[in-house]
Amino acid sequence: METRKNEPVRIGFYVCHCGVNIAHMVDVEAVAKYVATLPNVVVSRNYKYMCSDPGQEMIQTDIREQRLNRVVVAACSPLLHEHTFRGATEAGGLNPFYFQMVNIREHDSWVHTDRLEATRKAMALARAAIQRVPHHKPLEVKKVPINPDVLIVGAGIAGIHAAITMANAGKKVCLVEKEPSIGGHMAMFDKTFPTLDCAMCVLSPKMATVGSHPNITLWTYSEVVKVDGYVGNFKVTVRRKPRYIIEDLCTGCQECVANCVYKEPKFPDAFNLGLGKRKPVYMPFAQAIPSIAIIDPEVCLNFKRGKNPDGSYTVSDKCKKLCVVACGDRKAIDFTQKAVDKEITVGTIIMATGFKTFDPHRTPYYGYGVYPNVYTALELERVINASGPTEGHLVMRNGKEPKRVAIVHCVGSRDENTNRWCSRVCCLYSLKLAHLILEHTDAEVYNFYIDMRTPGKSMEEFYNRVAEEGMHLVRGRVADVYPDPNDTASGRLIVQAEDTLTNRILKIPVDMVVLSVGLEPRPEAEDLRRLFNLSCSSEGWFLERHPKLAPVSTFTDGIFLAGCCQGPKDIPDSVAQAGAAAAEAFSLIDKGYVEQEPNTAFVLAEECSGCKSCIPLCPYTAISFNEETKKAVINEALCKGCGTCVAACPSGSIVQNLFEDQEIFSEIDGVLAPLPQ
Amino acid sequence: MSDSTNKTPDGKWTPRIVAFFCNWCTYTAADLAGVSRMKYASNIRVIRLMCSGRVDPQFVVDAFAKGADGVLIGGCHPNDCHYVEGNYKCLRRYQMLKRMIADMGIEPDRLRLEWISAAEGEKVRRVVNEMVETVKQLGPLNIPCKFEEWDKEMEALAGHVAHSQSAAGAACPDHAKPQTAQTAHV
Amino acid sequence: MSKTANPFEERITMAGVAEAAVVDRTTTLQTLLDTPAGRRMLTCIQCGTCAGTCPYGDYMEFSPRLVINMLRRGFIDEVIKSDSLLRCVACYACTAKCPRNIRLTDVLLPLVKEQVLMNNTQMPAEFQKSLENMHRYGNPMGESPRKRAAWTATAGVKVPLIAEVKCEVDVLWFVECYTSFYARGQENSRATAKLFAALGVDFAILGNDEKCAGECGQMTWESGLFESLAEYNMKLFGKYKFRRIVTGDAHAFNAFRFRYPMYGLTQPVEHTTQFFARHLEQLKPKLKKPLNLVVTYHDPCCLGRAVGAYEEPRALLQAIPGVKLVEMVHNRVNSVCCGGGGGGMWLDTYYKQKGMDRLSERRVKEAIAVGADVLAVACPYEVSRFEDALKVVPHDKPMVVRDVVELLAESIG
Repeated sequence: METRKNEPVRIGFYVCHCGVNIAHMVDVEAVAKYVATLPNVVVSRNYKYMCSDPGQEMIQTDIREQRLNRVVVAACSPLLHEHTFRGATEAGGLNPFYFQMVNIREHDSWVHTDRLEATRKAMALARAAIQRVPHHKPLEVKKVPINPDVLIVGAGIAGIHAAITMANAGKKVCLVEKEPSIGGHMAMFDKTFPTLDCAMCVLSPKMATVGSHPNITLWTYSEVVKVDGYVGNFKVTVRRKPRYIIEDLCTGCQECVANCVYKEPKFPDAFNLGLGKRKPVYMPFAQAIPSIAIIDPEVCLNFKRGKNPDGSYTVSDKCKKLCVVACGDRKAIDFTQKAVDKEITVGTIIMATGFKTFDPHRTPYYGYGVYPNVYTALELERVINASGPTEGHLVMRNGKEPKRVAIVHCVGSRDENTNRWCSRVCCLYSLKLAHLILEHTDAEVYNFYIDMRTPGKSMEEFYNRVAEEGMHLVRGRVADVYPDPNDTASGRLIVQAEDTLTNRILKIPVDMVVLSVGLEPRPEAEDLRRLFNLSCSSEGWFLERHPKLAPVSTFTDGIFLAGCCQGPKDIPDSVAQAGAAAAEAFSLIDKGYVEQEPNTAFVLAEECSGCKSCIPLCPYTAISFNEETKKAVINEALCKGCGTCVAACPSGSIVQNLFEDQEIFSEIDGVLAPLPQ
Repeated sequence: MSDSTNKTPDGKWTPRIVAFFCNWCTYTAADLAGVSRMKYASNIRVIRLMCSGRVDPQFVVDAFAKGADGVLIGGCHPNDCHYVEGNYKCLRRYQMLKRMIADMGIEPDRLRLEWISAAEGEKVRRVVNEMVETVKQLGPLNIPCKFEEWDKEMEALAGHVAHSQSAAGAACPDHAKPQTAQTAHV
Repeated sequence: MSKTANPFEERITMAGVAEAAVVDRTTTLQTLLDTPAGRRMLTCIQCGTCAGTCPYGDYMEFSPRLVINMLRRGFIDEVIKSDSLLRCVACYACTAKCPRNIRLTDVLLPLVKEQVLMNNTQMPAEFQKSLENMHRYGNPMGESPRKRAAWTATAGVKVPLIAEVKCEVDVLWFVECYTSFYARGQENSRATAKLFAALGVDFAILGNDEKCAGECGQMTWESGLFESLAEYNMKLFGKYKFRRIVTGDAHAFNAFRFRYPMYGLTQPVEHTTQFFARHLEQLKPKLKKPLNLVVTYHDPCCLGRAVGAYEEPRALLQAIPGVKLVEMVHNRVNSVCCGGGGGGMWLDTYYKQKGMDRLSERRVKEAIAVGADVLAVACPYEVSRFEDALKVVPHDKPMVVRDVVELLAESIG
């Protein structure tokens, strides 16, 4: 380090064409020519693809042959390739932090339209880096050991698959699920496209594996309430909500349910979307994992009505408690159970929090919630399902089998008034539902679609197969659903749409309307985003680090995405993504350590006046005061490198590595320096 | 007198705006704007910092002093700061800076703070364009040129003082104006 | 005690200011695709929602969906050779449900209709007469402009003329044609005057100087006629000082909101129902007389779908003691047009010749089906249209058509 200090600065500058991505808008040769005239620049080149092997090779050769001791590359965003070029710099024999990157693609060629102006901007940005880089110091990457345990949030098919993958490889997994049972939306489906295998048949073995796996700690009816720490060492608080049944003691015999003072199920059953009924004590559904009952304090007679301000419920002790009698010696029922907060430490986190289906009340012209024979697709899944409220008989709320059914595509998808995106799965599940309706009944089925979208392996073939079964496929978005004015008594509805391929307005009388509702972010996604310090796209889906090259990573190191929380996708894609997220988590864990950017701050003791201004500013309590020397001291291990203390220090005695004052002042000077006309 | 304002090759003035963007939200949002091929004014020069809390008021003052016509600071939304609360620290400094630069004769609108999350590429586009429009309305700031003027005045003033030792009125409080024969009489 | 928030406060924004940017007054079919509104048309996915929801979709050779595609492909000449687009009643149904937010009703279709008429030598006589009247007399019925303010003599309260006020008024009340000349329209005006007086509103009218706002001219094809009326009225507005325009005519409201800003209108505009809903707290104690009626409300297109003011008129009706509000099958965004917009007011004969059913009849059937005593409306076109329809549609229980303001005025006694 000291040996290089008095050496003259010799900078190599490289401007990348990025094919034509940069070169079409920035005159790269002019930039290279201009930079060659700047002080300390020894080499100034332009090249087609700097990130390619020959490009990196060029840097390494120049370092050796031209005795470069600084490297500047003007190319894409440092968030994409800084790592690459630091590596090239290091391979050339220099400390990697003698490198500086200039973003002339994302911040220049892609966003501007005037070639001359874009070129001048590139020159200014390059000059800033050329002026900055002489101040760079050699730094060392810090390695921090990683905790091998993993937290998976959400136990739908994506969370389940990721959990099993990690657990089978011997990693300890904590799987947290908000609902009383795992399974997510997939557990509600009847059959799945394109194979038409029964959803529960393929899912329940995986659910059982989760329930019994020695490496998986399963916490259902639980929610993450606090996340602290960083990659490799997250401290997470999970709130286990009271189900008023002691999990370890319940055997899942359901004697309590059978003996409840309510002889008949009376309350809407959430799993069946309110189409079925349950008792105050109930099993979420037959194949629920864990197979443990739950008591709903909102309706159980042994509780006072209404929540306390803290969210808890008060025991009224008014009930005969026949459930407790039935449970007997097992003593699994505990009305005094309270929410418990558990703290765990993990090294990586996989988010698999899923989606919510669109609420069709937002498209009032489809009559959902007004006409009883209008269903959502998910409701129909339950109605068709053998374990559903009608035991698989396709009958409507009036008990009758429909003679004609209309399936309305794109409800809450591809619509500026609701959700703009295509939900990707609706066309295929609509075809599947049409097939199932034909299988269960003699009904005539109409599919009203805008565009039939069936990408993916075996999907078009599936479309072809079910189309042959003889359903009506009408290319036109349904505009109106209203009761048949000529037959008001039967509840028959008219579905009105333009058949755009025959240029005709259709008014089809049907008994049942099924709305193919789209997928949208869960309402709590925003809270989760804050809790885990993630980013969301403008639509509210969790944002991946890079749409193509880092599709399961997030901007927060150590947190990965799986399934529909990142965007709508079908089951195969969710499972594939869950596997990818698990692999990303593995690659971190098996490396054993995380590298930390050496952008921490330190105090120049001789300059510190001991004013203590910095101490309360640090959110990580990394700064302490040495009473003996009367100086502030920064604990490097705790410092995360935000630089807030640096900006506040009145005596300028705190320095942030990689972002030293002098480096930034040089950049300011550089971007503002006059350019050649 | 040298003119340090930014001119396009055809001699028209065009503003230069220095931006300090935090690594986690606004810089990423600007990358997103790029990936989405949104188009905005090219007058902005982004300097990446890890956090808006790193924005030392001196950076802003220095940028104006070196010829920036406007300064834009971008950070994460309240409660979303990657470093918990650096953006709040930035907000406090920003409010102080607004008053300070006004006292220095710089229109406060030349300094802007915006919370732009990583997903808000569109907001980067809008804010940059708005900022460029605002600064265009305000015209060149050109502090370096003013420095030169002030230096010359000070020189003239010093010379004046040296030549007429008796004239105490030379140290008039009106020194910001050029020393002409008229004002010397006052 | 803290003041409770008024749920209807927000609507006094001027929608037109933001919206005016989608096209400008010089936009033609040739330049349309270069405007912001036109670029939305390039995003059309041909889903057919517009045609499916169009009340006259059955009778259109070129559905709105097809018009967009013909425009994009350069085949628009074929469309304007057909009289298909004359069936558009400018009801905003297509625009409101369009998944791409394409401005069909007030941007694309009027431009097409204008070309249709230029290509058509045969203009429906009834319609032609109305346009001529508007041109010559400033009102479609050909009444003498000097009698425009005559109704004020029967108002029962003082209706100040802005020319005589000589100082800034809060509300410039734009009375409009039907509400000035037609007997049933004047009831609306008298009711509005009474409500203004009861609330102590600082208001004035333009009197005989006022001319039709011209909305139907714009919505049909006569952009030249609209221009001259808009320029006349804008010049008139420029002579006086007022803080806002309030009008009971939903069509005039639409013109002021969307088109007039292109001619320089900067004051906010409100429909009377929006204005009274905003003052509901002051109005409520005055609504003493119970009207024991079952009322159903018909959403006027230019107030409902065009700006989303569905709840203001309903809130007013529900504030009247004794009123039971029931909803027809089609309500709010799904409301069925009375058939009077876009020139439909004067095309009944033409529609009949083409074998088309009357939308007003379709609508009153729905009102009859819900057993209402009163079909409440908020647009002066609807009164005469629905009253005519009730004469031909059989119904057992008597039904009357009343404007919301008339019911309010009756309740304050």
